[in-house]
Amino acid sequence: MADTDEKVGPSGLTLRQAEELHASLVEGTRIFFCFAVFAHLLAYIYSPWLH
Amino acid sequence: MNRVSRRVMNVWTELGPRFLPFADAATPDLPLSRLLRLSLFQVSVGMALVLLVGTLNRVMIVELGVPSSLVAIMISLPLIFAPFRALIGFRSDIHQSAFGWRRVPYIFRGTMVQFGGLTTMPFALLVLSGGGNASHYPMWVGDFGAAVSFLLVGAGLHTTQTVGLALATDLAPTESRPKVVGLMYVMLLAGMIVSALLFGAFLANFSPFRLIQVVQASALATIILNIVALWKQEGVRIPKLHEPRPEANFTQAWASFVQGERAIRRLFAIGLGTMAFSMEDVLLEPYGGQILHLTVSSTTKLTATLAVGGLVGFWLASRVLSRGADPFRMAASGAMVGVPAFALVILAAPSHLPLFFGVGTLLIGFGAGLFGHGTLTATMNAAPADQAGLALGAWGAVQASGAGVAVALGGIIHDIVAHANDGQNSAAMAYDTVYSIEIILLFGALLTMAPLCVKRLAASR
Repeated sequence: MADTDEKVGPSGLTLRQAEELHASLVEGTRIFFCFAVFAHLLAYIYSPWLH
Repeated sequence: MNRVSRRVMNVWTELGPRFLPFADAATPDLPLSRLLRLSLFQVSVGMALVLLVGTLNRVMIVELGVPSSLVAIMISLPLIFAPFRALIGFRSDIHQSAFGWRRVPYIFRGTMVQFGGLTTMPFALLVLSGGGNASHYPMWVGDFGAAVSFLLVGAGLHTTQTVGLALATDLAPTESRPKVVGLMYVMLLAGMIVSALLFGAFLANFSPFRLIQVVQASALATIILNIVALWKQEGVRIPKLHEPRPEANFTQAWASFVQGERAIRRLFAIGLGTMAFSMEDVLLEPYGGQILHLTVSSTTKLTATLAVGGLVGFWLASRVLSRGADPFRMAASGAMVGVPAFALVILAAPSHLPLFFGVGTLLIGFGAGLFGHGTLTATMNAAPADQAGLALGAWGAVQASGAGVAVALGGIIHDIVAHANDGQNSAAMAYDTVYSIEIILLFGALLTMAPLCVKRLAASR
């Protein structure tokens, strides 16, 4: 693809860069979701929804 | 790619560069303000270290009643990642990114993992202690949860520190590296001291709820500190097509790295010296109390004395090395200060002079400061530009594993000697054995470093 290194928009990002940024965002969201599930599981074991 | 993804990607391209975390251009000069900001990642590393080794160590044993052997295992878990620092650094060296970034993605991931470990840790510890409803669950659940969160924190802090130091190496030109290294060490120490005091103050009235608040606050602080540290530091460089890819094989990269200027000898010296300066870590305070009969408050001042010695060492090393002195000679003088320092500590008991102990402790801190600063500066200067991550990773791997193993060994050797001799003088002897081993290790480090210094002298003439 020839146009992937062209800068688009006022940020001056290339398409490829925007894609990479977005991929990290998606990856981060997934990982944070896993942490949240793990923390909730442990919290539930310690005190099931504070009961 | 689905429609939502496209939308979000458009947002990225529409945003002004002000809101994006990279430098507009790689500037050749590195102002102090920017350097100070970069060194904040060391504060978060120091905070995590003190939380694991100091605060949570105590909280688990005293407040949560976890058996101390289990606590010792949990606390040593992060050490597993120390040898992998070389690999992490190497991976960051060869990272392919559309931004031309090598360090940012790894610091980001390291931060994220450290955050994950810290947010889950308070719940894991509460489950580990068997409190609340956790006693209805099998034991392994608590063990597993705590192990996972300790491993996450360990993986995160080793990644962040390794790649952060590699980034500092990338950014700083050779002449300002002594300043950078001094700053990195001071910020690590400052992070440890300040967060130890804060954790102590906030956990004074202990409750499970308070534990959750404090540890999760430290998780949040990790993210904030690291983002501030990283913001617009690494410059964007759009990789050219058909750019030669760096060596993508760790074994080959390692082989070429150890062929560089006596790399193995350097690492060996770093390991010996670090072990020599770390073995007394958990033994100084009980030595002061048990053998010299110092009060609890005066033994606590020891930690402060050690830190002050370290700060003076970093400051002096930064000054002298900035004028172009050889960093390995600086490290060697650190080891030379260490020898009389440990001798003074040993002599304090038979001479009944606690002053010797105080001065010895100060000198240990000072010598360790010179040694640490000298070896890190030497590592940065010797690192090939395309292998900074690997070089700093190797330094960190040796340094962190050496320190961790030495602290454990110090305790074990002390206990064995104390156990084997149940006579009257055995109490002091057990400590003296460890201190003597440290002196021997220092001589070993000096012998290992001698050719490195001599060679430099010859080259400078």
